[in-house]
Amino acid sequence: MGQSPWRLALRRLRRDRIALAFGALFVVLALLALAAPLWADVAGRGPNATNETGTIDVGGEQVDVVSLDGVPIGPQWRGEYFLGADANGRDVMVRLLYGARNSLLIGIAAALLTTLLATLVGLLAGFYGRWVDAVARSALDVIWAFPVVLLGVALGTALALGGLTVGPIDLAAGSIAISIAVIAVVYVPYMARPIRGEVLALRERDFVAAARAQGASATRTMAGELLPNLAPTIVVLAPLMVANAILLEAALSFLGVGVVPPDPSWGNMIDAGVERLVTAPHLAIAPGLMLVLSVLALNVFGDGVRDALDRRGGAAWEAERP
Amino acid sequence: MTVKSSYPTALALALAALLAVGCGSSGSDDDGGGASAGQQGGAITIAQGSQPDALDPALAYTSNSWEPLWLVYTAPLTYKRAEGTEGAELIPGVATDLPEISEDGRTYTFTIRDGLEYSDGTPVKASDFEHAIKRVLNLESGGTYLFEGIEGATEYIEAGDPEGDIAGIEADDATGEVTVRLTAADGSFSNVLATSFAGLVPSSTPFRNMTEDPPPGVGPYAITESVPNRQFVMEKVDGFDIPGIPAGNLDTITTEIVKSPARAAQDVIDGRLDYMQDPPPTDLAAEIREAHADRYKEWPTLSVNYFFLNQSLPPFDDEKVREAVNVGLDSTAIARILGGRLSGSCNIVPDGIPGHSERECPFGDPDGPGDVEAAKKLIEEAGATGEKVTVWANNDATRPEIGQYYTGLLDEIGLDADLKVIDGAIYFDTIGNVKTRAQTGLANWYADFPHPATFLQQVDGTAIQPTANGNYGMVDDPEINEEIAELLTETDLPSVADRWEALDERVIDRSYIAPYGSEELTTFLSDRMDFENCSLVHPLYGNDYSSFCLK
Repeated sequence: MGQSPWRLALRRLRRDRIALAFGALFVVLALLALAAPLWADVAGRGPNATNETGTIDVGGEQVDVVSLDGVPIGPQWRGEYFLGADANGRDVMVRLLYGARNSLLIGIAAALLTTLLATLVGLLAGFYGRWVDAVARSALDVIWAFPVVLLGVALGTALALGGLTVGPIDLAAGSIAISIAVIAVVYVPYMARPIRGEVLALRERDFVAAARAQGASATRTMAGELLPNLAPTIVVLAPLMVANAILLEAALSFLGVGVVPPDPSWGNMIDAGVERLVTAPHLAIAPGLMLVLSVLALNVFGDGVRDALDRRGGAAWEAERP
Repeated sequence: MTVKSSYPTALALALAALLAVGCGSSGSDDDGGGASAGQQGGAITIAQGSQPDALDPALAYTSNSWEPLWLVYTAPLTYKRAEGTEGAELIPGVATDLPEISEDGRTYTFTIRDGLEYSDGTPVKASDFEHAIKRVLNLESGGTYLFEGIEGATEYIEAGDPEGDIAGIEADDATGEVTVRLTAADGSFSNVLATSFAGLVPSSTPFRNMTEDPPPGVGPYAITESVPNRQFVMEKVDGFDIPGIPAGNLDTITTEIVKSPARAAQDVIDGRLDYMQDPPPTDLAAEIREAHADRYKEWPTLSVNYFFLNQSLPPFDDEKVREAVNVGLDSTAIARILGGRLSGSCNIVPDGIPGHSERECPFGDPDGPGDVEAAKKLIEEAGATGEKVTVWANNDATRPEIGQYYTGLLDEIGLDADLKVIDGAIYFDTIGNVKTRAQTGLANWYADFPHPATFLQQVDGTAIQPTANGNYGMVDDPEINEEIAELLTETDLPSVADRWEALDERVIDRSYIAPYGSEELTTFLSDRMDFENCSLVHPLYGNDYSSFCLK
């Protein structure tokens, strides 16, 4: 009996030091996000605490946090105003870390929701075929027809004023739940299509026929036979979905339909910063760098996971199937 | 007697402040009816930060729209094309002279100039005036309240028939004479006849928003192309000739909607744009002040910037909560967000308008910090701690930051505030729709005319309307309503300036709004424009495009 395919994949992943390094980088960014309240204590102010008329001690002199002509102070490289202030005199480092919480939370939650919805749609469409497949494919095609950002902006704008109420689900206007829902929905086709394709292939396999012949119900067949075999596909796509979701969240917030200020996200911080690139470049550079690092980390790590799970490289997955 | 005769003395004093701080070059050297002194011809491209609310004189009611439309739709009366005090002087527009006003102040009679034509060649008729006013009333324009004092106006609105008659307006197309009867004397009605709402349009103009296909008007320029949210084009009208109104220097003025003030400013610096209506962003202001001082100026405005507090909704139905906002407000914080372009004030009637109060502010120095601790205490006393509040702001330059300051302040004093930022093009329509139930947010008011009534109508309960409502705070105080109504019957403004002042103070004492000052605006032209000789700033309408010329 050979090694479990998961163990084999893990062993391959361990050997991919670049993927691991970028995976670790993402973990560090996530930990920094979790540590935001600690840094806020060090800085002495919360993420939304404005301080337009305050002063701080710089080299023994009291300096305006925001000058009389509106230019915020730059990085101080110490607890207070480590990365400088924004136009409202808020601490950029504190907002960056709290923004990381929002950006990562939305990215991860949206990717999870996308995964859930896409798996459900892909499984049902692929397994049942016929009209279920036709309806699912049409719905996916409609979403697919729109560029992601355009659809995200349209949905975000439509829901920005009134929120969304569907049955017992009530998403308040301006809440991050709206961003999560919008991003999750627009990415469903990108994950549901490969899953559906995978199910179409799997349902013709002998082990599925054997399960049905033994009297397994459709639900049991999908949950017990198909889903475990979809796991590698889902595991490969998930980190990439998180990266895409973080990027889309940043784009939506940049365009004003994501996280609503004063709550920070990297996207709305960049949006506020681009108007002050000349006098306060730190406002756009800091969140921009965080965005690049997190997306890069997830993409490289995701590539590593894909390579590790690549079935063309071994027969482990085949061996596990009945 | 005409209203005109009572203004110059008061305004000479009241608007002296504008002159004292310097409005750039002196008044127009043009006596109208022909070309001004600048270079003739050429085309320029200018920028606005957001689409004007409407390119239709019946509906336009923001500085974005009034600045260009002033040159397209001339009303029976207009203002002298001059800076400072001179610019507040009423002069005849499409009327031959200032109106004759009856002894009781209720009947205005004027005559439309003979031989006038719209930009498309259609002859101007006296009855077009009534059509223009009908469109204002029928389209639920923000300017409706200005004309509701005309006899039969309310009945016309209630009847809902666009083609119906307004009993108080009689127009004789043969003689050009127009008679307007009011239900009560209105000391500001001559000024109303000079607003863009009263700008004449042909009687065939449909009763709908014509922004996409603006109707012809009488003015030095005509809008020949309009693509909402992208651009509109104004072209010089050949043969335009009304004494006192310059014919304009440039042939074509293309206005592009450029959302990013940074991009617009950089384009003006580089010469890709010739003028930007919005002030340059703080990021570039310092560089522009230093490196391009020869084509940049800042000028005070007859305006009030404030936070509206909807007293029909909790928690602002409680005077203590409204007072807390005023007590905690720090104008100096907002001044920094605006890059220093703010004169702090705690009044609704700004400096430069008769009726402006010079008393000490009841809630602390407007140029000093707010008292957050005292504000917190007031919120506690009102039992409003933790009350949910939604702050409304638009996405025009610096507005989100001001909204964030305000949201932070409300949180700091004990409320639980969220910010809602929407597009500048729909902002005032949205908060001006009573159904929106906007609790509080950013508002500003630029003088429609040099009269305190134009500012105090924002707290006039009788001016509340379902849509396009300018009384965002839903202030409906019978004492204030009555006093405004009574003061409006006085045609001699200087004699009642102190009563307007007392009214302003009463509004502030009851914290119906939270004013924080008057914003300074800017003129920033490209290097190819003749800034020295061709950049007139009108006290009411801002930069006068008809004065612009190339070097």
